[in-house]
Amino acid sequence: MQGFIKTLFGDKRTLATAGLAIGTAVAVLHSPAQMLAGLALPVCLLAGAAYLARH
Amino acid sequence: MTAILIATFLTATVEWVEAYTIILAVALSIGWRRALEAAGTALLALAALTGLGSFILTRIHDLAVMQLVVGIFLTLFGVRWLGKAVARGAGLKKLHDEDAEFAALRARSEIHETRAAWLIAFNGMLLEGLEVWLIVVALGVQTHHTLAASIAALAALAVVAAAGAMLRKPLARVPENTIKFTVGAAVLSFGSFWVLESLGYRWPLGDASLLALFSFFLLGGLALVRLYAPKTREVKVI
Repeated sequence: MQGFIKTLFGDKRTLATAGLAIGTAVAVLHSPAQMLAGLALPVCLLAGAAYLARH
Repeated sequence: MTAILIATFLTATVEWVEAYTIILAVALSIGWRRALEAAGTALLALAALTGLGSFILTRIHDLAVMQLVVGIFLTLFGVRWLGKAVARGAGLKKLHDEDAEFAALRARSEIHETRAAWLIAFNGMLLEGLEVWLIVVALGVQTHHTLAASIAALAALAVVAAAGAMLRKPLARVPENTIKFTVGAAVLSFGSFWVLESLGYRWPLGDASLLALFSFFLLGGLALVRLYAPKTREVKVI
């Protein structure tokens, strides 16, 4: 069961990283700069991958 | 569709190679018949899970909600794999070594007890297969190609099984980190594309944006490997 949950959601760091990236993209999507959401999400996710690689 | 089949095949290849190492280690203790029986039972459980996962997801009639759910799971999976591949590529983490994994398994005392070894094989196959399951269900349901994705995963299993049957030793030469790096970038592309689309964002290039996203994650990941590598003075695999 633990393996199943970890496969679906990853660990806390992965959850926080993806959550922050999606949250940022949602905020941009609802701002006047909404066209930049398509840039904000990949950039945040790459930054998240960089963080996960270091930790 | 082709991209989805390739992503599924590659993900499955990496996972089945790891599962094969476990099955091989167990088979040398309790025999191939019992080890394959454990692996087969785990595969049946995975098939049941695939059916259940597809059933649950197809109950979601709102396309946007389904896209969001699938997109979030793929994003979680992709960012994890890309992060891991960058860390291993830059030398921050050890590369996955099937020979070392095999030796560690063989050194475990419980591997010589029939029941415990059977469970090791079953759990190993099930846990490695869960990531394959996630990709098959998420990519398959979202694109209505669950059967094709399942066949791609089974084709990967056939390839690994054939290679294993020929060599009878751990498949240590599979470029696992390169595959993980590529699949991480591809899955992250699908995930971010669907998450934003489900929230009402219109991608400027339509479906072609997927290719742009894939290039971004691939090149960005490579840049991260370069950035981190000098500290360890070693660039491996990528």
